[in-house]
Amino acid sequence: MSELNVVGKSVKRYDALEKVTGKAPFVYDMFLPDMLWAKVLRSPYPHAKIIKIDTTEAEKLPGVVGILTAADLPKTNHGAGLIDEPTMAIDRVRFVGEPVVAVAAESEDIAQEALTLIDVEYEELPGVFDPEIAMQTNPPSIIHPDLRSYSFSPVVPPAFDDDKPNVYNHYKIRHGNLEAGFQQADVVIENRFTTAMMQHCQMEPHVAVARAEVNGDITVWTSAQTIYGIKQMLCDALQMSSSKVRVIVPYVGGGYGGKVEIKTEAIAVGLAMKTRRPVRFAFTREEVFTSASVRHPSVIYVKDGVKKDGTLVAREVKVILNGGAYSAYGYLTVRNASFGAVGTYKVPNFKLDSYGVYTNLPIGGAFRGFGSNQVCWAIECQMDRIADHLNIDPVELRRKNLLSEGEINVSGETTHSYGTKECLEKVVEEIGYNQPKGESKGPWKRGRGIGLANKYSIAPTSSCAIIKLHDDGYVELRTSADEMGQGSRTVLAQIAAEEFNVEFDKVKVVAGDTLITPYDQGSISSRTTYNTGNAVRLACEDAKRQLFKQAAKKLEAPPEKLETANGRVFVKGSPDRSIAFGDLFIPTMFASGKVLKQGAELLGKATWYQFASAEDKETGQGTRVVAFYIHGATGAEVEVNEETGEVRVIKAVSAFDMGKAINPELCEQQIEGGIGMGIGAALYEEMAFDNGAVLNPNFMDYKIPTSREIPGPSNVKSFIVEANHPDGPFGAKGIGEGVTISVGPAIQAAINDAVGIRLGDMPMTRERVFQALSRKKA
Amino acid sequence: MKYPLKLHVNQRTYNLEVYPSQNLRDVLREELGLTGTKEGCSTGNCGACTVIMNGMSVKSCLILALQADGKEILTVEGLSTNGQLHPLQESFIDKQAVQCGYCTPGMLMSAKALLDQNPNPTEEEVRDGLHGNICRCTGYVKIVEAVLDAAEKIGQ
Ligand code: FES
Ligand code: FES
Repeated sequence: MSELNVVGKSVKRYDALEKVTGKAPFVYDMFLPDMLWAKVLRSPYPHAKIIKIDTTEAEKLPGVVGILTAADLPKTNHGAGLIDEPTMAIDRVRFVGEPVVAVAAESEDIAQEALTLIDVEYEELPGVFDPEIAMQTNPPSIIHPDLRSYSFSPVVPPAFDDDKPNVYNHYKIRHGNLEAGFQQADVVIENRFTTAMMQHCQMEPHVAVARAEVNGDITVWTSAQTIYGIKQMLCDALQMSSSKVRVIVPYVGGGYGGKVEIKTEAIAVGLAMKTRRPVRFAFTREEVFTSASVRHPSVIYVKDGVKKDGTLVAREVKVILNGGAYSAYGYLTVRNASFGAVGTYKVPNFKLDSYGVYTNLPIGGAFRGFGSNQVCWAIECQMDRIADHLNIDPVELRRKNLLSEGEINVSGETTHSYGTKECLEKVVEEIGYNQPKGESKGPWKRGRGIGLANKYSIAPTSSCAIIKLHDDGYVELRTSADEMGQGSRTVLAQIAAEEFNVEFDKVKVVAGDTLITPYDQGSISSRTTYNTGNAVRLACEDAKRQLFKQAAKKLEAPPEKLETANGRVFVKGSPDRSIAFGDLFIPTMFASGKVLKQGAELLGKATWYQFASAEDKETGQGTRVVAFYIHGATGAEVEVNEETGEVRVIKAVSAFDMGKAINPELCEQQIEGGIGMGIGAALYEEMAFDNGAVLNPNFMDYKIPTSREIPGPSNVKSFIVEANHPDGPFGAKGIGEGVTISVGPAIQAAINDAVGIRLGDMPMTRERVFQALSRKKA
Repeated sequence: MKYPLKLHVNQRTYNLEVYPSQNLRDVLREELGLTGTKEGCSTGNCGACTVIMNGMSVKSCLILALQADGKEILTVEGLSTNGQLHPLQESFIDKQAVQCGYCTPGMLMSAKALLDQNPNPTEEEVRDGLHGNICRCTGYVKIVEAVLDAAEKIGQ
């Protein structure tokens, strides 16, 4: 590869200036003239039939302009693969917080007051909350009696289980011969692990502003991370034709997987169509907790057969994801969570079953890591227990069982771009794994631990890009990559700058408007740099073809002899023979700008399609199941208070392999943010319920780590490992999700190192640590 | 019934009429169009709405607008002067302390109040001083670095 000018450099973020001045547009800041405010009456029951809805009193309240129920909407569901969710409850509610009636009023207060005047009569049904009970053959309730009749995506059809009526998807991997593997084993070790329900807690709550245009079109501004996915869901839910729906996504105040579904959009649109006025529907923080999607709580069983020397010979995994009331993106999480058990270790004989189970809880959806957090938690904790049992150092045990480049993993795929070993060695060194431990002070005991992570990225998938060359030499880039903080605009602009050999600030980014920016699957699955990045490269090539064709005539040289830099086209090897982009245009009469004599604009466009092989339904085997794997490791040093069970993270280091860092400082941002979110998941965050109602829907009772709980810059270190991927732009893969995954396991190992307890349930709250310490003493 | 309110925001005086139940955050955002001040919770826990009132950082969602009558308010829009970024804003850019940016204005205002009171904070003091502002993206690492960097710049 020739030397790079912009790619690989830590240019400052494209969006930083707008954001530090408070000028960056967010939908939560939008207040349109003549706008109405929406509020939603939600189900107070986890599971009930709706007998009657009476809105007469609310309609009479001055200032109430429109009321919406399921009766006003098409009776069609939406979903992300399995089409099971109504926009508003139709005849049944399936979780506390499900939308039942929406009101649009002149002010927020009036809308709120109107809700108190609505009368809904319910008939309660038994609720089921525990996924292991819900997945029984005769559960207390069947949450979706019509499950078999729902439509679904032909790309990944669901697998139901005849004897488990609440299971909405069951994914299987079979590799080698499990029984033979267990027979070869010297020891068999089996454990059960769990993880809690978490909320994304994006700082900007979910929000949409909708406007019904006079010609029947609709425009909706939304804080979302899958602009085209939202558009499709809206079309499905409201039975609208795609060109009638325009979705605009400005900056997004945090996504982390939680802004991929139409939580606010369809209701805002429904009300706007009904009232013919713009409608703003903004979640309160409480609604984010009760009614947006969450990270699936999980129960995971891992049974391993190992040789005395620590070699894994058989592994059986059962993953149970508590999916809540509707499948949503959780539908795909069931399949993709499995890959957490695929990407890191070599296992000759392997069996995995992953289940998504309906319960009467908030909807389990996408959450940064998409199931890999749960599965890697179980696998990493299990590796430590094997190490305990065989009296082998946990790092040594890992080294022994890692995959290597070119090896076939348990999905049948060939391992590429596998930076795990380098990441592991880096954190071992940097956390001082082999150094003597820091001194304990009183009840505070110190310990260190290591955890590994992998995160696949989805396939098949696609992204598109359009490049327009301006007469002043600027390169305009149009994509629908949603900017939710991960830095997509910056990284994609760097790729375009590199391709056109221009300074970073000569690239203009146009993003997030389905009227003008092309299809993209969305800012999910750590996929943007790789997929949209590849689309940008291809679109740049296409634009260069147009450019060189036009320039060839003027420079009297064949197009293949041309190259471009700094807004000019050069004849290769003759720096004095060149022409500026602007000189390809001719001036128009009346000084009304410049025009190209042919072709209207210098445009390049391209689709990047990441192919996948169809995997076998019974065995999960395929030759290309995922786009790539991110790999990484975290080392943590903690202090544990032996008397109270309190845990403090003293130091955290992570090393991650993202293929190639297009912008190293932005990769550090991801790694550090991942450490922060990982500490929250590891030690604090857990949504608590009573009969299906969230008990802690606020930041007082649901604890997110602050700057006090996360170590400062002197004690957080991030390292970049670049195992180039052959298919990635400049060798890049992705990074965003991998970084949270290894943090919990590393803290778990560090707690054990400090006080000798093995925890298997995340978060490792003070109570859990205290109880485990008491058990140990007893 | 609405009551008169005189607000001094970013060196400009506004004469308004507001309901007693309206909080300062909503008046800044909805009446004055100063949407740099963000809404993240309404319970005083996230810090996205932080502004400086008479020199002290406050959560503007917890202040009734009428309580701010006659007070000097500084929001993120007033942080740069004559088109010149405040050193904190510069450091947030240089140190890459911005991701989604939704916490950023509140963070900047808390950081400013902190540096006004303690121009030479240690890393620990900055971590302590920002603990009322939640950032879900960054793990605070580069934010703390940026505040230390700005302190150094201001001190020079
Ligand atoms: S909005 Fe005021 S503290 Fe969250
Ligand atoms: S930058 Fe996103 S919340 Fe702080």
